[in-house]
Amino acid sequence: MNRSEHRADTALDFSGIASRAGETDATGHIPAQNWQDLRDSGYLRLFHSPEIGGTGADGLTQADAMEALARACPGTYWSATVSALLCAKLISTYGAPRTHERLLQSLLSGEQLAAFAVVERTAGSDASTFRTTVRPAGSRGSGFVINGEKAKITNAPCADLAVTLARRDKSPDDDGPDWCLAFVDLRQAGVRRYEIPHMGLRGMPWGGIVFTDAYVDEADVIPVPFTELAEGMAWGWIKNAFAAIAVAESALAASIRHAKERVSFGRPLAHMEGVQAQIADSRAQIDAARLLARRAMKERVAGESVRDLIAMLKVSSTEMGVQVAARAVQIHGAAGVTRGHEVERLYRDAQMNVIGGFTSNRLREQVSEGLGHGPAVYRPFDWLAPTGLGRDAAGLDGHPILNAPAS
Amino acid sequence: MVLSHSPVDPGAAPGDATGPSLRRLALDVASRIAQPTAADRDHNSRWDAHILAELTRALPTAALTGPLVPTVLGGGGLSATETLALLEGLGQGARDPGLALALGVHAVLATAPLRAFGSPRQRERYLPRMADGTWMGAVSLSQTQGTAVVQTVRVRPETAGPGGWVLTGEIDLVAAAPVAHHYLVIAEHTDGARTAFLLDRSTPGLLINAAGPAALRTCPWGRLTLDNCLLPADAVLGTVGGAVDEVEPLLAALDWVFTSAPWLGVMRALTHDAGEAAHQQRLFGQPRIHSQTTRFVLADMATQCELASGLLYRAAAEFDAGGRPSRQNAAAARLFTAAAVRVCVDSAARLSGVLALNSDDLIARAHRDALFFTESGGGPEVQRSVIAAAALGLG
Repeated sequence: MNRSEHRADTALDFSGIASRAGETDATGHIPAQNWQDLRDSGYLRLFHSPEIGGTGADGLTQADAMEALARACPGTYWSATVSALLCAKLISTYGAPRTHERLLQSLLSGEQLAAFAVVERTAGSDASTFRTTVRPAGSRGSGFVINGEKAKITNAPCADLAVTLARRDKSPDDDGPDWCLAFVDLRQAGVRRYEIPHMGLRGMPWGGIVFTDAYVDEADVIPVPFTELAEGMAWGWIKNAFAAIAVAESALAASIRHAKERVSFGRPLAHMEGVQAQIADSRAQIDAARLLARRAMKERVAGESVRDLIAMLKVSSTEMGVQVAARAVQIHGAAGVTRGHEVERLYRDAQMNVIGGFTSNRLREQVSEGLGHGPAVYRPFDWLAPTGLGRDAAGLDGHPILNAPAS
Repeated sequence: MVLSHSPVDPGAAPGDATGPSLRRLALDVASRIAQPTAADRDHNSRWDAHILAELTRALPTAALTGPLVPTVLGGGGLSATETLALLEGLGQGARDPGLALALGVHAVLATAPLRAFGSPRQRERYLPRMADGTWMGAVSLSQTQGTAVVQTVRVRPETAGPGGWVLTGEIDLVAAAPVAHHYLVIAEHTDGARTAFLLDRSTPGLLINAAGPAALRTCPWGRLTLDNCLLPADAVLGTVGGAVDEVEPLLAALDWVFTSAPWLGVMRALTHDAGEAAHQQRLFGQPRIHSQTTRFVLADMATQCELASGLLYRAAAEFDAGGRPSRQNAAAARLFTAAAVRVCVDSAARLSGVLALNSDDLIARAHRDALFFTESGGGPEVQRSVIAAAALGLG
């Protein structure tokens, strides 16, 4: 089965969003019509069961839809998928069905937009540095307040809701988890947002959220063991993987078009063996990533964790995306580095897929642990000096000071 | 070519049906029967018929020697996907790429064209005996890429006597040649057309020399010299002059996919060995497995295995799904797998260090054999041309 066959009967129409992709990047803003198109397409409901307002699509249908939207506009895809897939999965997994039905309905209908607020200014993957804390607002039953700052968060500047990872300010008799997910209403006093200019996915809202005694309802604070969070975050890794595959596929498609049209040395670039080699390598690498992504999606939607497989996928597909985009720039020559060109945009977009949602090396550590090699062991860099390799060698006449003649 | 009438979703996980259990079974059987002597057989360039017999007995009927032969002809009746899984398990368990190559050439490259294009008489004569291991079939790996590399056998009609065809030339890189009963040979006519023939070992004028590359030493290699070999008309496989559309594209796809399958198993074995070595060795006063570089390399090795697996199982499933399997997808599977093999053997050698030879020598053997594997099947230049031509709509 080739791609055109498997997409023919399931692909959603994102042609309007695709036609506005350049504008979305140039203005750094997702047009309102994109959101209307998303609501009309049913994309936002694909990932969830009918019981909570979804359409219960199977894994491969979800995969097709994710890739199709990411092909159309990676920035719009990131924003929509963080909200409708990642945040909604976290709410449906850790929240209470009746209590949080309203939140889910608003996200799946597209009425509201959510952000997943994890990272802080101090670090990306290292949760030990996170300081955002939820504490009781007053007496029992009077809710909670949250304080701290989350940074480098998709949808932060405009989201209505933040699914926020925070520490719990626990009472001495509380032996529950140290961490929680707080579903924070961002339309309130005590919440300040700011934008962060970014290299790629410029249409995607990205920035920070400062919580200053922001109120959180008691029912919206869910104690969660930190180790559990990686399970939920794996949905985000899948999101990045499909974005990377789509960016790579778009870059390859542009390369093929250019290679067929551009004449150099009396023949189209397509007849150049060097260009052919780049196109062939990209084709094989994209296919390998897509097959792994579809396998992971199918198994995860069927109820398997496959967290380590998804970690492998996230690392390999996102790094592949950067590589393929770089090849596309090279095939396009000067056009590929000209602002406003599709390939220039894709080259910038590809980078965020690697960085967002745990960087490659953090995930490689997880994969290695999953292979049975134990947890990562970190220690200060103190191992070179004792080996004797921390010094320059003596010269052929020995150490110059020791051998200096007495004066 | 359709090898099964059970459609398989190429996007599905590898081996959705019986594939995983066959892979596991082949792995267990091969690790018990073939692996213990792999290094010694490699050192002595030795083919051991007893091992083939033991493996055949330990696996389901005709699964190893005739997986793609229909059960009505005494074969294993496996799908292409299951056959791939079996070869993957064989590669991982035996840790012997040469043995796996010889068996794969017999069971797939020499068998599938007979099944697809053989006349009823040819199918009935050859396939049952190939399936039970009585007759081995052989193919030259220099004849699996059409004429992309070189064509060295010529054919002319026999006009003076009873009719038939006269073949002349030399063919290298014939896997399983010294132990084969017959050979699948493609010959070129004076007008450039090409025809596939079944050449029996007993054919007058055929000389078989044991000769081959320095790699894959447990595969019995040979060179065929055809000195005016007279073949009857019914030695033609398929149609006269039809190899370019029949046997040649099929052989190319089979080579790219199925001779890669054991290497997927070898990659998994190397990943395991490298991890074991990293636990045993020490670096800077710590277990080497604490080194972040080491852990990253192991993660990447495992990832390469899964990525290659997806491409190989997709390509195999296309043989089961009906229609003509995509040459682009088969070539992509080989191109990617060959690169992944190089990553894994280099990584395993790095992590196992200079004492790697203390084990069963797999790393050193695989390092040597991977060079051959990478350049066979036409090598990257041929595979990239096939993929790019399809992507660019060029011929």
